[in-house]
Amino acid sequence: MEPPPRMNTVRLVIVAVTMLMLAQTVWPMSVNRGLGPEPDSLDIHQAQGLSAINLLRDLREGLLSFDAKGELVPGQAESWQVLDGGKRYRFTLRPDARWSNGDPVTAADFIRAWHRAFSPQTASSTVGLLQPVVNATAVMSGKMSADALGIEAPEPGVVEITLTKPAPWFLELLAHPVSYPLHPSSMDDPRHAPVNGPFMLEKWVPRALISLKKNPEYYAANSILIDSVKYFPIEEPAAELLRFRAHELDITETIPSGRYDWLEKNLAAQLRTYPYLGSFWLGINFRRPILGHSASLRRALALAIDREILVRVVLGAGEMPAWSIVPPGISGYRPAQMVERGWSQERREAEAVRLFREVGFQAGFGKHKPLVIELRYNTSQLHRRMAVAVSAMWKQVLGVATELVNEEWKVFVNNRKMGVVTEIFRGGWIADYGDPSSFLDLFTSGSALNTTFYADSEFDQILASADRDSGVVRMERLHKAESVLMQDMPVIPLYYYVSRHLVSTRITGFADNVRDIHLSRYLGSTAESP
Amino acid sequence: MQHSASRLLGLIPTLLVLITIAFFLIRLAPGGPFDSEKILPPEIKANLDVKYHLDEPLLMQYFRYLGQIITLDFGPSFQYKDWTVNELIARGFPVSMTIGGLAVLLAFLLGTLIGIVAAMKQNTGTDYSLMGVAMLGISIPNFVVAPLLILLVAVYAGWLPAGGWDWSVQRMVLPVLTLALPTTAYIARLTRGSMIEVLHSNYIRTARAKGLPELLVILRHALKPALLPVISFMGPATAGLITGSVVIERIYSIPGLGSYFVQGALNRDYTLVMGVVIFYGVIIILLNFIVDLLYAWMNPRIRYNEVQ
Repeated sequence: MEPPPRMNTVRLVIVAVTMLMLAQTVWPMSVNRGLGPEPDSLDIHQAQGLSAINLLRDLREGLLSFDAKGELVPGQAESWQVLDGGKRYRFTLRPDARWSNGDPVTAADFIRAWHRAFSPQTASSTVGLLQPVVNATAVMSGKMSADALGIEAPEPGVVEITLTKPAPWFLELLAHPVSYPLHPSSMDDPRHAPVNGPFMLEKWVPRALISLKKNPEYYAANSILIDSVKYFPIEEPAAELLRFRAHELDITETIPSGRYDWLEKNLAAQLRTYPYLGSFWLGINFRRPILGHSASLRRALALAIDREILVRVVLGAGEMPAWSIVPPGISGYRPAQMVERGWSQERREAEAVRLFREVGFQAGFGKHKPLVIELRYNTSQLHRRMAVAVSAMWKQVLGVATELVNEEWKVFVNNRKMGVVTEIFRGGWIADYGDPSSFLDLFTSGSALNTTFYADSEFDQILASADRDSGVVRMERLHKAESVLMQDMPVIPLYYYVSRHLVSTRITGFADNVRDIHLSRYLGSTAESP
Repeated sequence: MQHSASRLLGLIPTLLVLITIAFFLIRLAPGGPFDSEKILPPEIKANLDVKYHLDEPLLMQYFRYLGQIITLDFGPSFQYKDWTVNELIARGFPVSMTIGGLAVLLAFLLGTLIGIVAAMKQNTGTDYSLMGVAMLGISIPNFVVAPLLILLVAVYAGWLPAGGWDWSVQRMVLPVLTLALPTTAYIARLTRGSMIEVLHSNYIRTARAKGLPELLVILRHALKPALLPVISFMGPATAGLITGSVVIERIYSIPGLGSYFVQGALNRDYTLVMGVVIFYGVIIILLNFIVDLLYAWMNPRIRYNEVQ
């Protein structure tokens, strides 16, 4: 007895539909992400590179965290109060904050971790970020015991942090791995220690794969759409692009330089570029006789560079021409851009020539005795193209002869730090926290990071006074400080960085943001196969 | 036997010279492991120097290092702080050895085969086309071949993954092929040359005169002496292939040993560079030793014991 053929078709359809529904629900959702270079460490006090920091943000959580758009939100702390005019913070921990082994996260876990961070034996390289904390430097250098540090636990669920002076950007540092808590067991073993973040480490094969799985103890575990994240450390952007095109990656860390046009044509729906809190500039060593003493000369050099050509033709990866040190995108702050920004390039070049002749007349260089300057950069194809283009522009507009010097990375940073042989050099900065002071502090006299050796008491004073205020007044003062810098020009801004990713169209929850922070807990995926 | 033992003992002074030169050379390079875009505050720099003994005089650091490696402990990596150099080598070498070993095997089998065929058909169209392809294989660098292979085989055809590593055969095919290509070509040319030379010698003429079929002449009489130059080339070639190739590792994202050497030097990761240098040194010395033994076995003229 055979059933009629129509019956068979109906059954088949039912089976097929059921299987499809099962596939939708049962299949584990996973996202594959490119990570960039192999992370330097998963120890919260040793991690320095961006790839390690990004991983730690998926594995662990501080008092604060970030939302999908990279804005600060409560993390392990459910609320906080700002006391003593911004010098003291009082955090109340979430009652449901737990470690991956089920233990509650306590204030003592934070205190313990901070004591370890500041201990000279730990030799953490990022703990300097927490310098505003009371007695930070003394504890760091071993002159005071860790108990003197400005962090306390008045109650088991309360953490209090005291600063030497108000630092409005301090909250963001509490979302940085260096300020995270540590579980009392296996403090020195980041590979096996319990974590308090949305994901747990499942497997780590150096330079091949770091796979994470959802942490069921995480307080917001129910809101996480994916079960696992696979991070692939891929150092070579060209290799990363090939793997994205072969559907092995859903999100890339970057794009290869020089491929922007091709990607815009062929992968427009996947290409995501967005402003980033970073600036690229040419630094000028103020210890040099002519360059260091003539603001007009520095301005002439700055105006002779056609930034439009630089970003479009030479770099071509979506960068934006820069006319200030602080990039746009910091909420509440208006960068102090050079007035010449609104001019046409012809007018800028005419002004450059006028300034240059004026200085040349006094300093004794001109048509028959051209000015010779040196431009130093670390070896990289992109930097070389930038340097060649800039030197061609200086030659064409001002008749300046530029000597290009390229150096291996460590040699370059070492020379830049010493400031003996450098003249004009590649420089730039990526914000540690979303505040103008992260950029402006670089130029205070005596700062270890000040490789231009620019020193101006007016600038120092304005910057110091800004920290006594808060809100709009503070931002106005910072703006004024940046105006001073743009007048004196210790650096010639060239372009603002952008973040660049390829994101598969099946991925949901990836929101572009200026901090370029994309926690995996907000990601989802619409189907299993790409 | 005695000779072999004394040669193995000779490894120690060679290594000591190698360690000494490498140790001071890497320290001579400007910049240190903690120099980066962000300059560290002096207190933190001081803590790091103490932790890694970089505050001690260089000579003291050298002897401290010698004392340490006697126990086969290469110390922690400066760059990959969660791993010791021993762990990194232990994880990287099997990967490099697998890819390199397969590439050596492929190159040897394919290269000698092509070489023998070309020698047998000397100065014919077959010979010229085979040697033409071999020349191409030697001259096209692998950073051109590799992305081209990925584009064709992985991106367009979708037959194999574009890179990465999980010990599966699919992920080994392209890297092994890319790595084997130039060596295959080189071995083919080497085999052809020496095979032609051997085929012109008197004893081969005798064998042929006895009426032996050409294939037997080649396999029984000509092959062994013709392979001698190939064998002596295989020693250093194998060492080069199984210790990892930076280019292959970067393009295919393979966690082998080659990148540690280059990255280690660029990062001034003193312990990692030293560990890899010593490891390479041992491998190369051992492989040369094995080649010598093989050589003696294949060529009675240089067998030591019989001379004595």
